[in-house]
Amino acid sequence: MSPEISNQSLLFLIVFVVVPLTLSYFYQLGMSRDILWSSLRGTVQLFAIGYILTYLFDLPASFGIPLMVGIMLIIATFHARQKGKELPYVLPVVFFGLLIVEVSVLFMWLTFDMVQFRPSEVIPMSGMVIGNSMVAMGLSLERMKSEFKQNNGRLLAALSLGAKPKQASHLIVQKTLHAALIPNVDRIKTIGLVQLPGMMTGLILGGVDPVMAIKYQLVISLSIFSSVSISAMFVTIAMYRYFFNQNKQLVESAEEIESQS
Amino acid sequence: MFRFENVSQSPLQGVTFEIKDQDKVILFGPSGAGKSTLLFLFNRLSDPEGGHIYYKDERIEKHDITSLRKNVGLVLQSPNLFPGTVLDNLKYGPALFDEWNENEARKLLDYVQLPISFLDREVDQLSGGEQQRVSLARTLANQPEMLLLDEPTSALDNRTAEEIEEVLERLIKEHQLTMLMVTHDMKQARRLGDRGLFISDGKLQEDGKIPEMLDQPDTEALYKFLEE
Repeated sequence: MSPEISNQSLLFLIVFVVVPLTLSYFYQLGMSRDILWSSLRGTVQLFAIGYILTYLFDLPASFGIPLMVGIMLIIATFHARQKGKELPYVLPVVFFGLLIVEVSVLFMWLTFDMVQFRPSEVIPMSGMVIGNSMVAMGLSLERMKSEFKQNNGRLLAALSLGAKPKQASHLIVQKTLHAALIPNVDRIKTIGLVQLPGMMTGLILGGVDPVMAIKYQLVISLSIFSSVSISAMFVTIAMYRYFFNQNKQLVESAEEIESQS
Repeated sequence: MFRFENVSQSPLQGVTFEIKDQDKVILFGPSGAGKSTLLFLFNRLSDPEGGHIYYKDERIEKHDITSLRKNVGLVLQSPNLFPGTVLDNLKYGPALFDEWNENEARKLLDYVQLPISFLDREVDQLSGGEQQRVSLARTLANQPEMLLLDEPTSALDNRTAEEIEEVLERLIKEHQLTMLMVTHDMKQARRLGDRGLFISDGKLQEDGKIPEMLDQPDTEALYKFLEE
């Protein structure tokens, strides 16, 4: 297989857009505009990032890497905080969580010579780590909020028996972490069996020896596994306390119960 | 035991009353009147916006909050059991204070008339009535001196509600507990209460002895409530 895809070949990708477009038309899904817009937007975004990456890869590593990683961290922070913006201190908690994850993963990669300190290696791999951590933090925040809502009665029962907030919310922290980690455990379990992971596929298509591609994939998969676990744990443990006030009371619990009675 | 002085917490507006040791008080009134809000003030699941609450002649804030909650037990309308076995639930409270004694389990199940074989049962396999008994036993495990009951039988069918009511009546008598119970069932109020607090529009409208209050209401508000 040629590692090069010509522009003419790319043009034929339009067929892949026409299929959902036709479906939308025949079944009157009203999604034609969305399909066209998202395909166009995705294409432009990818080419734009391609040019930006080409520029960044040419910069000296000590400048290009912090610059791009910093931008990724900021964007990821603002995105993840959306899921819990009503909670206090969510912005700094998410930012420091992502920063800790990225710095520790980078430290491991560089110390044990898994990745070279080159923009072409560190930036895409950091992107995957930060992106997955961002999703894990967002999901944890969302899950935690819904668990607190669903378990309001149990929390009141625990507090009324004399539990401190940490003890009362133990079950919720456990459930939130469980929910955040299960998809990762499943992904690692079936890796290579159900689907060939994206990075490995890309390297093989790019002409890299499959065993070498697998080594890279292992580095990134296990790095993501670990970062997702740390992110979920960090954000959950840092944020559960804000569902209580300093008097070990659930915030707004009484009003909610009153309105239900 | 408790003294409320001009206590406000939306929707309650300036409520004043006293609860003495071993009082058996029924708290009733229309939905949204502030009954649960009032109940939660006793064990500081919430704090008032205005006024003062005294517990044992001292401002409630001076008492250690976890010990207060241990002494003033709460049973909610839904059992809200923790996942796990009946035993896990029974020892939850005492374990928080390092006071769990394995021999207590049998006694607690006896109190609520459940067989000892229930100890290892998963709580999600129990019926609604059985779950509410376990919830009551879980609160009793902390050996409280006062019980706050927020409509503990309203989610149960008549027969099960009566059974729980009998258990409650016996326990309160045997353990000389002070009781404050929210209920919409006036027959239950007559059976279990000595004194009534009628709350409507956020205000304490009537405070008196139970049969007299229900038979000859002093206020138009209580008269209307009983008519409905």
